[in-house]
Amino acid sequence: MINARGLTKRYGSRTAVDGIDFTVEPGKVTGFLGPNGAGKSTTMRMIVGLDRPTSGAVTINGRPYREHSAPLREVGVLLDAKAVHTGRSAYKHLLAMGATHGIRKERVREVIGLTGLESVAGKRVGGFSLGMGQRLGIAAALLGDPATLILDEPVNGLDPEGVRWVRTLVRGLAAEGRTVLLSSHLMSEMAQTADQLIVIGRGRIIEDAPVEDIISRTNGTTVRVRTRDLDALTALIGGDGVTVSRQPAGAAQITGATPEQIGDAAAAAGLPLYELTALTGSLEDAYMTLTADAVEYRSTSPEEEPAR
Amino acid sequence: MTALATPTMTPTTRAVPTDARLTFSHLLRSEWIKLTSLRSTVWSVVLIVASGIGISLLYAVSTSSLDMQTSPSVGFTLTTVTIGLTFGQIIAAVLGVLAISGEYSTGMIRSTLTAVPSRLPVLAAKTLVTFGLVAAVGLVTLVASWAATYPVYAAQGIATGLTAPGFLLAILGGAAYLGLTAAFGLGVGAILRSSAGGVAVVLGVILGLQIFLPLASLAVEWLWDLRPFTFDQAGAAMASLPSDLPAGAEPEPGAPLEPWLGGLVVLAWTSVSLAFASILLRRRDA
Repeated sequence: MINARGLTKRYGSRTAVDGIDFTVEPGKVTGFLGPNGAGKSTTMRMIVGLDRPTSGAVTINGRPYREHSAPLREVGVLLDAKAVHTGRSAYKHLLAMGATHGIRKERVREVIGLTGLESVAGKRVGGFSLGMGQRLGIAAALLGDPATLILDEPVNGLDPEGVRWVRTLVRGLAAEGRTVLLSSHLMSEMAQTADQLIVIGRGRIIEDAPVEDIISRTNGTTVRVRTRDLDALTALIGGDGVTVSRQPAGAAQITGATPEQIGDAAAAAGLPLYELTALTGSLEDAYMTLTADAVEYRSTSPEEEPAR
Repeated sequence: MTALATPTMTPTTRAVPTDARLTFSHLLRSEWIKLTSLRSTVWSVVLIVASGIGISLLYAVSTSSLDMQTSPSVGFTLTTVTIGLTFGQIIAAVLGVLAISGEYSTGMIRSTLTAVPSRLPVLAAKTLVTFGLVAAVGLVTLVASWAATYPVYAAQGIATGLTAPGFLLAILGGAAYLGLTAAFGLGVGAILRSSAGGVAVVLGVILGLQIFLPLASLAVEWLWDLRPFTFDQAGAAMASLPSDLPAGAEPEPGAPLEPWLGGLVVLAWTSVSLAFASILLRRRDA
């Protein structure tokens, strides 16, 4: 359980994290989303005491991280893959990390096996690919068999097999009752992995709700229908807040009415429907809508650039 | 390339002792693994030993061929044995800087400080381990230098033994100086968090002051009196024999310090560097 209250971080006049409150509960995967520069990494760094909050506080299982007597058993953290000395082998890195808590080489070998690093464990980390560095970071996070995991972009640089493995691993850890906080920019991956989402933008929390709620609430319900007489159907269900956008071949997308309302209305009028489908938008759509005003570094599409 | 294990979590708790926790002795073990698993450490150690013995031998052979010394003298043997420290201190200082600046330049420090969020024990353990390793290497080097040069001097009848009065204490002082030099470098490296900056500053303190002070004292005379209190002059005093001034006699200004006082001066330099490092380590974001 991670609990943040009024958590704030300012760098000079810039406010990176602006008085946020949130709770990350055990037994669930909580996704942490937000545009670049929104304050995700700063928040994660404050949770594990690397950055000191300007004001507010964050606790893990009721205590600030630095007050725990066995921090590695409390929290496993992957902040970035580049938190390893490049001149040291993966095995020695994990051995030294574990040694701080009296964790022995049997456990080090176990996490090396778990992350599939056996063949490169004796090699120096400087020669590792992004994906191997990521696996090593995950191995380090798992070292203390922690009750809470904080993973910043764990699938970054992993191959599809690795991405699926992280998903299974993370779901498994949450199913064991652990607390998992996960950030990623891959929306499809997040939609499959997370139960709960915290969306942050410009240092403030925009959304904190279950994934399905966020998707349906943000995107609204859209119903795709196809019928012989679209005008008749429009007349039947038309009203405040209902919009019908026509598509080819007698199809239309209707927002503002549920499939039940449309189906019942059509049946009552004896109007046959050839298709009636509820469309939920993707998490990506919902995310784009939510963070539209909070993007700090916006890229411009080529067509938006002025012609020379 | 890498075969993936099935991500079962069932065996995980088996190998993690339930009483696993952060203790200072665990931390010493961790820092020892860190220090000894880097190639730069291995190279530094080899270089300290090899250069120390090599320079001493060269000195012994050269002085013998010139017949500079005609009777056994503990002071002369000591000079021979400790002459390599002038080079060894540079390697020790650089090793000390890199022991911490390497963690900052690679990002390792974030792993270190998440494992030890209270932070200061990391600096303490690192200091002890670095000091211990370098001082031990220094002692081995000095004893080996004595052993290597002994046959050269024995052939001339001017050799003195390891247990000659004052000799062992002086080389212990030399070894301690080397260890403290590494600890001083560690403090500077932790303050500056940069390898290049750290190395520049420690070399400035150790070598630069020896160039600056004599020149500056031509204009400002009293600066010469400060020279014995510089890092490497005080260190040289640690590795020398006590002066034979009669009790109560005042040493001349600018004269070398007594070994114990030299030790205190080097300790003061080191403490200041580590104290600043501690304050900044507590305060700064990692």
